[in-house]
Amino acid sequence: MTVSAPRKPQVLLDALAATIVGQRPSLEALLASLIAGGHVLLEGPPGLAKTLACRALASAVGGSFKRIQFTPDLLPSDIVGTRVFDQRAGEFTTVLGPIFANIVLADEVNRAPAKVQSALLEGMQERQVTIGPQTFPLPDPFVVTATMNPLDSEGTYALPLAQMDRFLVKILVDYPSSDEEGRILDRFGGETPALPADVVSIDDILRWRHEARTVHVEPRLKRYVVDLVGATRVKHDYVDRGASPRATLAIAALARARALVAGRDFALPDDVRAVAPAVLRHRLAFNYRTLTDKVDPETIVAGIIAAVPTP
Amino acid sequence: MTAEPKSLRVGETLRLRIVAHVDENVLQLDNVTLPDLSGFDSLGDERRCATSGHGSDCVEVMTLSPTEGGDRTIAPTTLDAIDARNGKPSHFATNSVTIHVAGAARPNGVTRALFDDLLKPIAILVIVGAAAYALLWGFVRRKPLPAPPAAPARPVTPATSIDPLTQLIAALARERTHARVLAVRDELRRRVGAREEETLDDLFARRAADDDPAVAGALRAVERAAFVDDSQLDGAIDDALRTLSKWHES
Repeated sequence: MTVSAPRKPQVLLDALAATIVGQRPSLEALLASLIAGGHVLLEGPPGLAKTLACRALASAVGGSFKRIQFTPDLLPSDIVGTRVFDQRAGEFTTVLGPIFANIVLADEVNRAPAKVQSALLEGMQERQVTIGPQTFPLPDPFVVTATMNPLDSEGTYALPLAQMDRFLVKILVDYPSSDEEGRILDRFGGETPALPADVVSIDDILRWRHEARTVHVEPRLKRYVVDLVGATRVKHDYVDRGASPRATLAIAALARARALVAGRDFALPDDVRAVAPAVLRHRLAFNYRTLTDKVDPETIVAGIIAAVPTP
Repeated sequence: MTAEPKSLRVGETLRLRIVAHVDENVLQLDNVTLPDLSGFDSLGDERRCATSGHGSDCVEVMTLSPTEGGDRTIAPTTLDAIDARNGKPSHFATNSVTIHVAGAARPNGVTRALFDDLLKPIAILVIVGAAAYALLWGFVRRKPLPAPPAAPARPVTPATSIDPLTQLIAALARERTHARVLAVRDELRRRVGAREEETLDDLFARRAADDDPAVAGALRAVERAAFVDDSQLDGAIDDALRTLSKWHES
């Protein structure tokens, strides 16, 4: 009988990095979110492997994966499922929708109208779906990775702030460096390489989640997290509304997950600082002056974070 | 409503930017009344509305060119709409903007010829004369500067052979507590020039402190001791003391 050592999160990160060229911060945030049990919003121009990263993650984890392409004519039942009449049995039966998967890719989530987004976001929050008289629990783990393209705003339905808050992080995917682009050409120029398959199991993910919850966060570090989120609520020229306590919880959970990925059982100020922008950027309500003064919201978030003294 | 620039000459261009925020998602704003822009030539007009999670921001940018000089106040732009806060029809208005328009943008043919032929040589003569006078005046008035007063002798303090960090490390070795670790960490950070808002990674990125592995090792070990759980504090302090002594030796 052989006993294999428990697999570490770093194994999954390496497998993802072997598929996706560059984008290390995005992959780390994706993995940390998976461990922290949150949903991920990926934003970036088309062609930057957002979808590929989600597919690679799902394939590497070995759980069930479904992709939903959001379009303006999508209906809530296309996501959660519906009840159909079975003529042979003479009764209604329930057909479950694509939301019933461990990893759900909601591609271009802002292309569907609000009621469809709500159907997805309700499932994200409640982790269960009600179809007709029956309520169905969603599988565990259940992670939604949604993508958004910031360039084509025509025909899109912007997610309200309250719904954006359901996403644990918003990851910005940027263009690769020229070196990375050269490697992309080498790797994807010919045959499409196979995705990493079953690198870790669902049980590994659930175990990491448990381990992440036991990562130690010093009281002074907790104070730092509270101060960071509190700093977003201080009167600011460009911010109308700051982040909620949900952001405080999210930063702490992600800092723990990041520490676990780094092989530590304690969190550091660097963990908090690294995850804070992804947690805060979609939770702040920027006012019209950001437009008139042409200020990049990322600069505002970075400025708020940088102004808070570290413990 | 803003204008950029607010001070210009006749014939130059300015951009008048009118911004309205509405709490609904709209593609365009109706019932907007633009101010009277007589005295300006309109060279362009661009409108767009951007929707986001918290409503729409509509921006109109007009490119204008003043046709006459003087201070000109552009009256507020107004909008008639239902106020979402009370459901009543309301009249909204922006601020007004005052533009200072100086004379012609640059000398035209006749003026320029007059400047080149007559005023330019006179101006050069005046400048050269003033410079020569200043030089002469400075030379005549120049006197040797008095010698600076001798600096008072520094009070002699007894030299200490043990620096504060060494003392703090010794105290940590004696009393292995979180408080002692933090004192060492604070002094170490001060010693390497860490700023208050910097994390360890920030510091390494800024100062490339990783270049000296002994310093980096000491910083990392002390950081670990500062943030580990109490149950692991002893081991972390052992590690920190070891790396600190390695750094001192190096």
